[in-house]
Amino acid sequence: MEAGSAFEVYLERALELFGIEADETERMVMSGVWSLYEPGMEQLRDADLDEVEPELHLDLSQAPPR
Amino acid sequence: MSALDLPLREQAFRILSGDLDPAELLDDCLARIEERNPDLNAVVATFPEESRAMLEQSPEGPLRGVPVLIKDEWPLPWRAETVGAASVPGVHLEPGESGPYRALRDAGAVIAGVANMHELGSSSTGNTSLYGAAHNPWDLDRCPGGSSSGPGAAVAGGLVAGAVGADGLGSIRYPAAYCGLTGLKPTFGRSAMDGHHIPNTETIISGPLCRDAADCRLLASALFEEEELAAGQVGPLRIGVAREPYWTDCVEGVREACEHALEALRGSVGGELVEVELPDQELILPAALLIAQSEEAGRLTAANLNSLSPELSVINRGVLKLRAVLPATLTARAVAARTRIRRGVAELFDDVDVLAWPTVPAGAPPLENPTIELPSGPISADAANARQGVLANLSGVPGVSVPVGLDGGMPIALQLLGAWGSDAMLLDAAEALERATEREFVELRPAAVA
Repeated sequence: MEAGSAFEVYLERALELFGIEADETERMVMSGVWSLYEPGMEQLRDADLDEVEPELHLDLSQAPPR
Repeated sequence: MSALDLPLREQAFRILSGDLDPAELLDDCLARIEERNPDLNAVVATFPEESRAMLEQSPEGPLRGVPVLIKDEWPLPWRAETVGAASVPGVHLEPGESGPYRALRDAGAVIAGVANMHELGSSSTGNTSLYGAAHNPWDLDRCPGGSSSGPGAAVAGGLVAGAVGADGLGSIRYPAAYCGLTGLKPTFGRSAMDGHHIPNTETIISGPLCRDAADCRLLASALFEEEELAAGQVGPLRIGVAREPYWTDCVEGVREACEHALEALRGSVGGELVEVELPDQELILPAALLIAQSEEAGRLTAANLNSLSPELSVINRGVLKLRAVLPATLTARAVAARTRIRRGVAELFDDVDVLAWPTVPAGAPPLENPTIELPSGPISADAANARQGVLANLSGVPGVSVPVGLDGGMPIALQLLGAWGSDAMLLDAAEALERATEREFVELRPAAVA
C-alpha cells in the first residue's frame, strides 16, 4: 500500500469518527499538506524517545535544568 | 527627505528635542499610507481619531509621538483583531487592551494603523488574507513573507519606521528576510503578549520589525515593558554553523551572501566558526509543527469545523480539519522530542555564543506560486522556510534576522540564534554585522520607495 493511500484511509476514518465534514478540495489540501511533512512525522513516530526524562515545570524562557 | 524616512530612534530623539512636531509626523504617516498602501496592501485599518487621541495622551516614554503599526493579531480598545481571516474557529474576537497595545501606549508610541497578516498566521508567505495579500515593496508581484506580512511590507515600503509582529514559527523573521529588514523574535515570554487569541501559546511571541537592529532594540525594549535591552559591544564570537541542511540546501546566492556576511562579522569582532550538529535535527520541524498546532486543538471541534466561514481560504479549511485529526500520540512524542532538543540546544550554547544560518533558503517567491527551487529540488517556500525558522520557537531561544544582500534583486538574510535571554547580545551581534558590512544592506531601499 502506498503511503499516500494509507493516509487517505486514516483520514477517511478519522473524519468520520470525529464527525468532520470535508469536501473534495479540502481533502486534496489535507493530502497535499500531509505529503509535505509526512517524512518528518514518520521520523518522529519512529524516534526512540522512551528514555527522555520529562521537563517538569516547563519554562520556555529559560534553558532547561541540567 | 520626510521625517518618516528617519530611523525610529531618530524620530523619537527629534520629537524629544522639540525639532519634530509629532502631530505633523502622524499626519505625514497617514498621508503616506493613503498614498502607498493601494500598491502594498500592508495596512488594513487606520483610525486617525484614535491615533490622534493616543498622541494627545502619550506619556514621556522612549517612543513618545512615534507612529508605528501593529499586526492584526491583537485587539485594540477600539478594534477587534481579525487575524487576517473572516473568522477564527471557536473564538469570539473583541476589542480590548492587549499587551502589545499597552506596551506601545506606555512607551508613548502612536498606533497609526493595523498591519495585514497571512490568514490565521498559517504561512511564511503572506499571500493569503481576508484583505488580500500584502505586496513586497521590492517587487509587488512577490511575497512579503508571513505571517507578519503587513509589518514587513509597511516598514520596507516606508509607511512607518517600525511595526510589531508576532513569531510563532518564524513569522517575524521570514518577512524581515523577504523585505530587507531586521526582525527580532525575542526569548519566549519576554515581550508583551496578553490579549492574544491563543493565550496558552508555547511558541508565539511579539517582536519588532524595523530597518536596523538599533531600531529593533528600541521597539523591543518597549515590548519588553519592565526590561531594558541595553546596547553593548559584542566580543569575539564563537559562531556555530550547522551546515546540513541549513546552509547546503539554499540557493547559491543566499549561501554565498550569508557566508560572506558571517566572515565579515567574524573578521570584525574576532572569534571562530564552529561546525556543529543540531540535536535531533530531523525531529525539530515535525515537533514544532505539532506543538504549535496543538495550541488551538481544543477549538477544532466538529461543530466549529463544520461551520467554517466560506470566506476562509480552502487551504486553511483543509489545514484546520487536518489538524483536528492528527494523532495525539504524535503530539505527545513532539513534546518529548522538544525536551531532548532543548537540552541539546542548551549544551550547544555551552560551546558557541550564536548559531547562524540563512533565515530563508531563497528570496521571496511570486505571490501567485510560492514555490522555490533548492538544490534538493522544487519545494513549497513554506516547508523550506519552516525548516530554517522553527528551532527558535520550539526551544524558546531568541533569533534575529539581518539583511545581508540581494539575490536577483530580492533581499536575503542571515539568522542568528542565541541562548535564552541573550536578546540584547543578539542585537549587539546584529549591529556588529551591520558595521562589518558598512551598513550596506540595512541602508538599501526598494526602488519604488528610494
